[in-house]
Formats: sequence, structure tokens, C-alpha cells
Amino acid sequence: MNEAALHKDRFEAIEAYLLGTMPPEERHRFEQELAADALLRDEVELQGENTLAIELAGITRTLQAVREEHREMSPAASGKSWTIHLKYAAMVAVLMVGAVWWIARPPENERLFAEYYVEDPGLPVPMSAVNDPVFQDAMVAYKLGDFAEARNKWGDLLQREPSNDTLRYYMANTYLAEGDAQAAIPLYESVAGAPGSAFHDKARWYLFLSYLHEGRLNELPDTMLARDTYYGEKERSVRSRIHP
Amino acid sequence: MLGLLRNDPLVVRSLYVNHYPAVRHYVLKNNGNADDAQDVFQEAVTVLWLQVKEGRFSTSTESDPGGFLFQVAKFKWLDVVRSAAHRNMRVLHSDGAHVPAEEQDHEAEERIHRLRGAYEKLDEKCRKVLDQFYFERKDLATIASHMGVEEESIRTIKYRCMMKLRGFRRTIGGEDRRAE
Repeated sequence: MNEAALHKDRFEAIEAYLLGTMPPEERHRFEQELAADALLRDEVELQGENTLAIELAGITRTLQAVREEHREMSPAASGKSWTIHLKYAAMVAVLMVGAVWWIARPPENERLFAEYYVEDPGLPVPMSAVNDPVFQDAMVAYKLGDFAEARNKWGDLLQREPSNDTLRYYMANTYLAEGDAQAAIPLYESVAGAPGSAFHDKARWYLFLSYLHEGRLNELPDTMLARDTYYGEKERSVRSRIHP
Repeated sequence: MLGLLRNDPLVVRSLYVNHYPAVRHYVLKNNGNADDAQDVFQEAVTVLWLQVKEGRFSTSTESDPGGFLFQVAKFKWLDVVRSAAHRNMRVLHSDGAHVPAEEQDHEAEERIHRLRGAYEKLDEKCRKVLDQFYFERKDLATIASHMGVEEESIRTIKYRCMMKLRGFRRTIGGEDRRAE
């Protein structure tokens, strides 16, 4: 088996071959190469196995779902009386769940934060990027939801470029995504206070949300985005629900 | 059976409707319950799916999966019956045969176990992207739109996640060779 890294172009060629999406002429050339290259054969076999592992997980989920459907379709053991009892039990359960939810529901600021917070999707990560590979690696981790890894990588870069607004903004995003608004606030503040930054408007919005998350409702910063049809409208809406 | 090749859930449902009752009947007659029957039938369908995927089960319209499913489910249930927990049970409907098909079945079981082990090592985000691309056969643009990221990013994530899987499998392969 080949121990070396597999280049993305090679990986995608094998993928197209296995999924049957390779054009006929290319497929013919690939098969000739396959006949002459044992390492390529190993790689195709391994990739085929990996694809099968993913499909197996999918078919197992499908089977489980069908099994559940069949369980639901099983006839009840003791006729109509059980159905009536179950209906009453369900109604009582719904009422009890509703009451518990009402008593234990989160405070207003947390509910508003949950309603308005949408994680920044991050920057596009081009496959062919050769510049800033560490930055791009961190961006992939960020997109995969591995915020600690992203922060670790961006943190190293930020030590070398402490005034880089992109790094500060995305570091703040990793904190807020994990619910640590307190750590995110100073980073957002530094970007929100730099009108020339490409992340200026977004940083102001997320700063506003960070204060909301922390429950510092009397200190909510003015996003200065009143004319912005997107953020301005959202800010007005949040404020009107806090102080109707 | 072509539908099984495409992972079509409708085909799985039709296998259940048409062939599960016979397996259920056999397991209930042999000291099992409906849950046991569901377990062995589910495993039998998985083995059939693997055989179809690997071209070892004919996908022609004449091929009848019912007999295959029943045989595999029966062997699996006999395995359970022979196990310590069921040692004292009396099997009414066993022909007592230990045939090559049973060995083949164990091989498939081991293979399924290995494949599952590799997949389980993937994190949730990788699974989400890879499931949609390789199992549901969605294109990159659709996955990107569902996940709210760019198509190029999904392409990169897919590549990196498959490289993780390749790394796990390479380790497993190495361990297997050392064990031999």
C-alpha cells in the first residue's frame, strides 16, 4: 500500500473512476494506467473500501429507519382501550412538558441570542491555495466546527501579526461560536473600531450579539449600522423586543 | 436489486415487506422474539447489500433475494442460539448443516465490522459531508447550499476527510499485516 500522501487531482480521478462519472476516453486511459501500475491499483482498492464504509453507514441508517417504521406499524396488544388511555397520557405529558418548559425556559437575552446568532460561514478555501496554508488549514477546521483547532492555528499567526483584522475577527468568531462571548468582545471591539477593515460591519454586529449573550442589555453597543438594511433591521428588532 | 446498488430506501422497504415475515416466523419458532428477528434480518440485508455492491450477487430481475436473506438470517440466528445465553434452547427447525455459505457469512460479518470501525473514527462534520456526497449522491453545489458554505470549500473538506479515512484505513491495514 502506498504510504505517501495522495494528491488531490489523483484522488479526484480515482473518485470519478469509482463513481462512474469519468468520461469514456479518460476512463480508457485510466484503465490502461491501472493495468500497469500496482500502486494505483492499491490506491483504487483502498478508496473503494473507504467509499463502501461511508455507504455502509448510510444503508445501516436506512435499515434502522425502516425497522422503526415496522415497529410503529405493529398492532397494539390490547385493543381500543389502550389507545384511549394512551391519548389521555399523551395530552397530560404535553401539558406537563409545556409547563416545565415555561418554568425552565432560558432568559430573554439568551433566547434572542439563539434566534439572531448565525455563525459566520468563513472564507472560501480554494483547493489550490498555496499562500497562507496555515491560515487555510485553520479555515477548514473552522468550517468543520473544530473551533479549538482553528483558534490554535490562527493564534500562532496572530502572535506574529497582532494587528491583523482578519485574524482578530475570526479568532473572535471561534470564541463566540463556543459561547465564550467574554473572550470574543475585546477582539470584536478592535475590529469594530477600525472603519477601514473589511470586517468592520460584521464585527459591530457580532459585538452587539456578544453583549446580548452576556446579558449586558444596558450596555448594548450602537452598531452604527442603522442604514444597513440587513444588520440595521436586525438590531432594531432585537432592541424593540428587549425594550418594547 | 439494482436499486440496492443505488442505496435506494424504497428497495430496502420492499425487502422488509416481502421477506421479513419468513425470517420472523423462523426466529419465533426457535425461541426468539420479534426484536431478535429484526436484528438478524437487518444483518442479513446488510450482507446482501455488500454482496450486491461487490458484484457477488446478481442484480438481474430474475434473481430472488428472499432465499439468500432467509439463509443468512437463519445462520445468524443459529449462531445466537448456539451462544452461551441460549445453550439450553431446543432448535426445532435446524438442518444442522455447517456449509461454506456460513463461513462466507462470517467473513462478510468481519468485513462489515472493519468498515464500520473506520467510519466511526470520522468526526460529525466529515460524516455530514461524506454521507451526502457518497451515500445520498448529492452534488457539491447542493451540499454547499445546504451547509451554507461555498462549493470549493466542500470540495476541499471532502478531500481532507477522505484523506483522514485513508489514514485510518492505512493504520488498520498495517495492524492487520502485523497480526498475520
